[in-house]
Amino acid sequence: MLLCRVADSLFWMSRYIERAENTARLVDVNLQLLLETDGTSKAAARHWEGIMQSMGDLELFRSLYKEATSETAMEFFTFNRANPSSVISCVYAARENARMIRDQISEEMWVIINRAYLFLKGESATAVWASGPNDFFEQVKEYTILFQGSTDAIFPHHVGFEFIKAGAYLERADKIARILDIRHHTPLPNELDTGGALDLAHWVTVLRACSAREAYQRTYVQDITARNVADLLVLSRVFPRSIFFCLQRLQLAIHAVSGCPITHYSNEVERLIGRLLSELNYTSTDEVIKKGLHKTIGEITERISEIALAFSNLYMFFPIVDPAAKLKNARRESQTNIAAASE
Amino acid sequence: MDFTGYDTGAFFDEMFEVDGSVRPHYKAFAQRLGTMTRQEFERRKEAIQVSFMRAGVTFNVYGAEEGAERIFPFDLVPRIIPRKEWEHVERGLKQRITALNLFTKDIYTDQKIVKDGVVPEHYILSAKHYRPAFRGIKVPRDVYIHICGTDLIRDDKGEYLVLEDNARCPSGVSYVLENRQAMKRMFPNFFPEAGVRTVLDYAQRLLRMLRSIAPAGIENPTIALLTPGSYNSAYFEHCFLARQMGIEIVEGRDLVVQNDQVFVRTIQGLKQVHVLYRRIDDDFIDPEVFRPDSVLGVPGLVRAYRAGNIGLANSIGTGVCDDKVIYAFVPAMIKYYLGEEAILPNVPTYLADEPSQLQYIIDNMEKLVVKAANESGGYGMIIGPHASKEQVEEFRAAVKANPRNYIAQPPIMLSRHPTWTGEAFEGRHIDLRPFILYGDNIEIIPGGLTRVALRKGSLVVNSSQGGGSKDTWVLRE
Repeated sequence: MLLCRVADSLFWMSRYIERAENTARLVDVNLQLLLETDGTSKAAARHWEGIMQSMGDLELFRSLYKEATSETAMEFFTFNRANPSSVISCVYAARENARMIRDQISEEMWVIINRAYLFLKGESATAVWASGPNDFFEQVKEYTILFQGSTDAIFPHHVGFEFIKAGAYLERADKIARILDIRHHTPLPNELDTGGALDLAHWVTVLRACSAREAYQRTYVQDITARNVADLLVLSRVFPRSIFFCLQRLQLAIHAVSGCPITHYSNEVERLIGRLLSELNYTSTDEVIKKGLHKTIGEITERISEIALAFSNLYMFFPIVDPAAKLKNARRESQTNIAAASE
Repeated sequence: MDFTGYDTGAFFDEMFEVDGSVRPHYKAFAQRLGTMTRQEFERRKEAIQVSFMRAGVTFNVYGAEEGAERIFPFDLVPRIIPRKEWEHVERGLKQRITALNLFTKDIYTDQKIVKDGVVPEHYILSAKHYRPAFRGIKVPRDVYIHICGTDLIRDDKGEYLVLEDNARCPSGVSYVLENRQAMKRMFPNFFPEAGVRTVLDYAQRLLRMLRSIAPAGIENPTIALLTPGSYNSAYFEHCFLARQMGIEIVEGRDLVVQNDQVFVRTIQGLKQVHVLYRRIDDDFIDPEVFRPDSVLGVPGLVRAYRAGNIGLANSIGTGVCDDKVIYAFVPAMIKYYLGEEAILPNVPTYLADEPSQLQYIIDNMEKLVVKAANESGGYGMIIGPHASKEQVEEFRAAVKANPRNYIAQPPIMLSRHPTWTGEAFEGRHIDLRPFILYGDNIEIIPGGLTRVALRKGSLVVNSSQGGGSKDTWVLRE
């Protein structure tokens, strides 16, 4: 038996943990990138704003800060509670979801989330900035990986587990897409620089933000090109941080909930994910490049949010009942009935 | 670690005799503590704090937002109760819950106790938690109070007295279990060779009791704990117990009533629920019957209960027993229903609604403890000797304005127990909340929650007012 409300909390707990990890990774690698490139304030501002635009956070950032520097960006992405996607907000939201369903998750899962939260609460942007942020981000990642690992190893793989998986894979697919799209929002100063050192550094950062640097090298054994990055991060069937891979796992989780074989579909969310996967399955890398990476990604992210919506509508959505209003209506109805009967 | 310089003062001390010697049942513990260095003691204390914080063994403080979770402070010196003493307490508690349950049944059926003039009718009708709408409903096995927390104190002679009954949703049992786990983990060598009676089977007993109140004919009932939600101060405990029992935890919005049956919304549709361990007060449980503005409850739940399609623990309307005016009549109830004298006496109680006693209360307020009849958590009371002039006047006016709502008692010099202050062991006042389960038979968790007033001189042990807790050991021998 799995309550709708519990399913919802499992899904979001997992999604927020995944989001926290991806954000931590993203900020970490970009901080490092800027150390070796044009670190002047103007270039750095352009760089961070591009990232924020890709993540959909630029407007919020501008309402909170005067200028984008590595320091303000780090604070915004990591410690700012006004940013619902900041690492601390995500961990807090994950913890609130976990707290609501503490009876449903294992002691270990709860303790890890709670420790991560207490750790973040005990840190501050200034202190982390002063001591060098890399250690800090490593620690955040350790917590999230520990959470996912222990969930996998300890939590019973019943239907609730599928909601945890679905949350993580959905979030991961979406974040990979957005990270890939950063290039679109941070264009090279000069088109001729394509393939140059700056271009290369950018794609290395994208790969590292997806923990894909080594996988890339082993797969292609050559220089980094946009085409190959897309090949790996969009379409790879074996790399666990490719969009295709994540969506495929998402599909397995979704079908495990209904029990419907993967060859058919039994509801709207299964239809949507199945169709998207089929399309990606028979798309070649060259087609992606030809259409344009930005356009492809835009379509994918849109489809992912449709899937997320359909999923939550199907299993987790239930209206908040207002008993007072319901009672009033019931009374009114019964009075109307009585009135009607007496007429 | 030792007790050099420890002062028992003019109080009954749980650990020390008047002449300063260690009471026999604390000797082994004192000896073992003597072999431990202060550094070691502090290190383990710290480790327990960290583990409680990480595990989120906390309660929520109302009115504060995030970070409102606090650890219920835990003192490492266990309270030890010898076997004989506990047997006396246990007998008294069984007697008391039996009488309280018969009383509850009586007032919701024939009201014989009223007709026979033992408890005046107006006190029952005016009890805040009396539910006249509930009269005449048949409950399974005639058990109304399935879980009761009866608060006990010891006076300056060491006699156990009943301070109040909690027959609605008593909380705190999770701390009993967590405290014991922590002590076993960190201080295994403190435990006596002959052993301490376990408390860790509480959840199993609770589950057995809950299964016993399922509607007739249901072999394998679906049981759920009904919580007001994650912002309730006892939410940790709700989750803790649900997890230990392996039952679902549900909020009102998870449940719907159809055809007088209760269902929970699951991803596979509606599933019937047979028993609810409800941690929501009557007032909020069903907006159709009680407060219509409650969003915590389940419309129709009382209908389903009336129809016999759902077991509720506790039943509805048991809060009458928590009324401190009704409390004053419990010894009379015991006599009336059981023909026995109360084994555990009440604290002497004056009722402001009795004209003869009202005058006494008004005249002697500076010397008395005055309490509102339906408040808890250390609120709505003054301790006359400790109160300011203004507070006394305020209460005097309040008592005159609404005498039904007040009682008064002579201040009891609560027993004290050695407690670590961070500097030394000092005596602090304590009470005891045992947890009583009433299913097929009556079972009592050995010991219960010992609460300790951590502030020097304070008599208020409530967690919201600077109280802490101790592990409570009932010795096997």
